[in-house]
Amino acid sequence: MIRLWWAQVRAVVRLEMKKTFFARRGLWIYILALLPLLLFLGHNFQISRQHAKLQRLASQSERLLSSEDLLSVQPGMTGQDVVARLGKPPQRFHWNDQVQSGNDSFVNIPHESYRYSDGRVDLWVDLAGDKVTNVNLRGGENLGEDTIVFAGVFQFFYLRLAIFFGCLGIFMNLFRGEILDKSLHFYFLAPIRREVLMVGKFVAGLLATCVIFVTSELLQIVVFTANYSPNVRDLYLYHNHGLGAAAAYLGVTILACVGYGAFFLAAGMLFRNPILPAAGILIWEAVNPFLPTLLQKFSVIYYLKALCPVDIPTPPGTPALLALLVSNSDPVSSPVAILGVVTVALLVLYVSSLQVRRMEINYTSE
Amino acid sequence: MSNPVISPSNDKIVFQDVSKFYGEILGVNRVNLSIPQGVTSLVGPNGSGKTTLMNLMTGLVRPTRGRVQVLEYTPDEPEKLFAILGYSTQFDSFPKGLTGFQFVSSYLRLAGNDARTAEKLAWRAIERVNLVEAASRSVASYSKGMRQRIRLAQALCRNPRVLVLDEPLNGLDPLARAEMIALFRAVAAEGRYVIISSHILHEVDAISDQVILLSNGYVVAEGQIHSVRNEIQEHPAQILIRCTRPREFASKLLENEQTIEVRIHNDERGLLVKTRDPDRFYLMLNHMAMNGIEIESVAPADDDVNSVYEYLIGNEEVVR
Repeated sequence: MIRLWWAQVRAVVRLEMKKTFFARRGLWIYILALLPLLLFLGHNFQISRQHAKLQRLASQSERLLSSEDLLSVQPGMTGQDVVARLGKPPQRFHWNDQVQSGNDSFVNIPHESYRYSDGRVDLWVDLAGDKVTNVNLRGGENLGEDTIVFAGVFQFFYLRLAIFFGCLGIFMNLFRGEILDKSLHFYFLAPIRREVLMVGKFVAGLLATCVIFVTSELLQIVVFTANYSPNVRDLYLYHNHGLGAAAAYLGVTILACVGYGAFFLAAGMLFRNPILPAAGILIWEAVNPFLPTLLQKFSVIYYLKALCPVDIPTPPGTPALLALLVSNSDPVSSPVAILGVVTVALLVLYVSSLQVRRMEINYTSE
Repeated sequence: MSNPVISPSNDKIVFQDVSKFYGEILGVNRVNLSIPQGVTSLVGPNGSGKTTLMNLMTGLVRPTRGRVQVLEYTPDEPEKLFAILGYSTQFDSFPKGLTGFQFVSSYLRLAGNDARTAEKLAWRAIERVNLVEAASRSVASYSKGMRQRIRLAQALCRNPRVLVLDEPLNGLDPLARAEMIALFRAVAAEGRYVIISSHILHEVDAISDQVILLSNGYVVAEGQIHSVRNEIQEHPAQILIRCTRPREFASKLLENEQTIEVRIHNDERGLLVKTRDPDRFYLMLNHMAMNGIEIESVAPADDDVNSVYEYLIGNEEVVR
């Protein structure tokens, strides 16, 4: 019997995959999945242009500079000291400021700016009257800040919007789309248990969403890490839990597809208009942090948030409501979180299996 | 017609006090049926409940009240029911992007067949409906008749014991109609159950072993056409007699108490006789023939679905 069900599930998946991947009405899902990738690609493009500029600047220096050389410049030093340490600046700007010294007299104060680079970091040294007044280091690799930005994009755009609406588009159409196309009877006329049909459709939806969103997430991670020099990348991936974080992001993506997929599969069977359940689930997930602890557990985001590898800090002065949304006040352990998502999904799928058994073909009322 | 008392049976398709309402709209009401093996036609105008009965039989809709049983299975168990039943629906839509062959073979794969068996059975069914040449084309490019035939192939592909066909001759050309009618008869001759809905009465006459007449969601008659006709007491039976001297013969017939009305045929070579007791009338004819009256042929003139339908349901939109 199990072998028969498995063969039938595969038959359903085969039929569904083509429809799911190449449906014209699903084009927006690809765009949604690729948006963060485009964001990171754009960021990389901008960074690489900046690097190229700095490389050019570094090559124009009198000598090869290291980051230690750049860091050695301190306020209070004279221009000659700076030139002695870093050589003649490849870019130099100068101007005069007139400062009133008495009632009618003005004094000219010469200002200069030296610009140096080691190829990655941009150093601006401001001098007034031959004294260093300001040292400004720009660029370089700020892994800590970047990982928080990545986590923010993942949690607040990718997870809560892209995957959420992507699952809505794919899973709700598994039954609802067939009803609108008036082709659901094709499945209902086959000697297949309705529950097996439902599982087949769910697996097809899961495969499609996982391929789309996991691939996008993987590419985001590749593009994100490609930004760094090989040394920094190795340090991040192999010595700073980078690989673990990447695996966690991919795992959370898969679990999000499982959880939201189950909800939207059920919604596609229960509701004619997808906007209502989508809005309901979106609001339920959004207000989750403000709900009593028991109710929080009946959502997907509660468990997914606990599985996200990087916590997003709330800067001082953040409004309390926003801080509550960002923070994870009652985190659960990873095994509990994984079990939680799977249990919620199974519960919803069980309800769907009862519904699919009762479904009728009545296209005229749709 | 009085409703028969039905006991659950494993060799019949049974409807027991079945009603179906779509909201407040009546689909069928208080249907009691026991459909035996052979070709059974559901006859009635649009909206009479033919498709609803078929959808109830196949579990596509569920009864509001009552129960349906198809041989040993109920429609609540599609995994078992469709192992013995094939249904060619009137829904003219197909899963997107499939060729005719893929449409049938995908159905077979859904049933759990391996690729090789599915391919073999699909081609066999496609051959039966004469669609081999177009099988590799997308269903979206098919004509109405071709779509009808590929649906028939899908219904036939597993060689089911019960074949349910909703308006199966719609869209077919005359040659294809004749082929399909022959096919349905052949399937029935193998001891299978063929349920056909139609509103084209002369075709129903040619196909059916028994008919179920429907009107406004109610079954108004069921059974073999001849016995249904015999039960309609208020309309006298009409008999067409071909003979050489119709006027002389008419006067003799009118002397007989079984004869209600005699009309001489337009071509002056026959009579149309009305009688309330056809059995005694035929006996009387035999006597007359033995006493030297020349009779070329005798045939019932209203013992067909057309007449039965007109007597019971009236002049609704049915093609004759």
